[in-house]
Amino acid sequence: MVERLRAWCVPLFLLGALELYARTVAAGSDAIAPPSAALLAWFGAARDGSLWQATAFTLGSAALGLLIASALGIVGGLLLGLSPRADVSSALSIELLRPIPSVALIPLAMLVFGFGLRMETAVIAFAAFWPMLILARAAVRQLEPRLLEVSCMLGLSAWQRGWKIVLPAIVPRLFVALRLGVAIALVVAVTVEIAANPHGMGYAMMIAQQGLDPALMLAWLGWIGAVGYAINGLALRLQQRVARAMGEAP
Amino acid sequence: MPLLAFDRVAIHLGGREILSPTSFEVARGEFVCIVGPSGCGKTTLLRAASGLVAPQGGTVRRNGEAVTRPSREVAFVFQDYGRALLPWRTVQGNVGLALEAAGVPKAERAPRVGAVLDKVGLSAHAQKFPAQLSGGMQQRAQIARCLAQTPQLLLMDEPFGALDALTRHGLQDEVARLVREQGLTVLFVTHDLEEAIYLGDRVIALQAEPGPGRPSLARMLEVPIPRPRDQLRTKEHPAFLRLRRELFGFIEQGHG
Repeated sequence: MVERLRAWCVPLFLLGALELYARTVAAGSDAIAPPSAALLAWFGAARDGSLWQATAFTLGSAALGLLIASALGIVGGLLLGLSPRADVSSALSIELLRPIPSVALIPLAMLVFGFGLRMETAVIAFAAFWPMLILARAAVRQLEPRLLEVSCMLGLSAWQRGWKIVLPAIVPRLFVALRLGVAIALVVAVTVEIAANPHGMGYAMMIAQQGLDPALMLAWLGWIGAVGYAINGLALRLQQRVARAMGEAP
Repeated sequence: MPLLAFDRVAIHLGGREILSPTSFEVARGEFVCIVGPSGCGKTTLLRAASGLVAPQGGTVRRNGEAVTRPSREVAFVFQDYGRALLPWRTVQGNVGLALEAAGVPKAERAPRVGAVLDKVGLSAHAQKFPAQLSGGMQQRAQIARCLAQTPQLLLMDEPFGALDALTRHGLQDEVARLVREQGLTVLFVTHDLEEAIYLGDRVIALQAEPGPGRPSLARMLEVPIPRPRDQLRTKEHPAFLRLRRELFGFIEQGHG
């Protein structure tokens, strides 16, 4: 408990220092607002509903993009992990496509999908797909060979082997991939909104900045951080819960 | 007809001769132990008997038919129980896997799993995950899964090698009892001479680095000690001591 309180000391001190700085040295600045003002601006946004609407849009598109990325990435990873032939024939394509920065796809996605949910989801899915694919493939590769021998000796069918041995065996590693994917999805979602898409938290922050409202801008910045922290915490909780349900020693 | 027959079985791995042409037979209901120093190919021989490894020469026959791939009639107890059990399934689920593979209807599985767990003394731990069990218990769970297969032939690869002496003795007696009750045929690999003599009706000794004039199969000894055997009295039996001395000299030589 004391440890946890101690961890809060540094952020609280920094906030206090910023408050002091913004109220004295940088009073009346167009760039910096005191945290207390940001908090008030946050309440304002929460009351008029813009906060929740933008948050829902960003999280919704991040979730949707991640869902598409995981589904395709896991299926693809299983395929590449299990079939050396598929792996060899797709290796070059993967190495050519993977280094493309996902943000570089925004112009293309805009042309194809226009502004809105679909365009943002597509860019997020592209960004999160690669780590899911690579990690799912690695997870299959690291499968305990003994378990495959056991399934041979027990006479499991190919379908049973995939469903009862391979898939459950890679779940812990898939969750690591998923947590990585969550972080990527949030970063890319906000980036797309700042750069192009006139929706969501990133866009709201841009508008606040362009409207010379540093308090609101700071409120969004803090809120995006808090949401990211909460989502990551939830993902970790889920991961631990699944690990326990799957017999991992606590 | 013997249940299992090795007919001039030879195995090479990576250009090295692991097992020189080896022939022997295992009768139905017999408990045969294979001993030898590490690297003598005893595990490889067992894997050939299971169909997990295909020999480069000769044939392994079970019931007169060549073994080409694993069969549900043959169960394999691996040494590394920690890796052979599915960590995400409870003991019950692990044992049930054998029945799922065999296509046993769902309603029949629970009572059959219960009966097998009863036999190996794991009933109280049916709902535990492998990570919650001691090594001895995990190995019991693997043995239970193999028994649930209702095999003809049980292949055991140093199953007690990683356990402490006390647990090992307990499990040896238990396996001996189960095998007698179920009328199983067993091929049991170990590097522990005493274990081999204590458990086996017959002991086959292999030697490492086979070559011309030096076949893999070095000795084949009958164990004329009555059953049921006893950890104390059997190990003081004159025949036990004689066999131990004979094999000890041989294994020492192999290690030199």
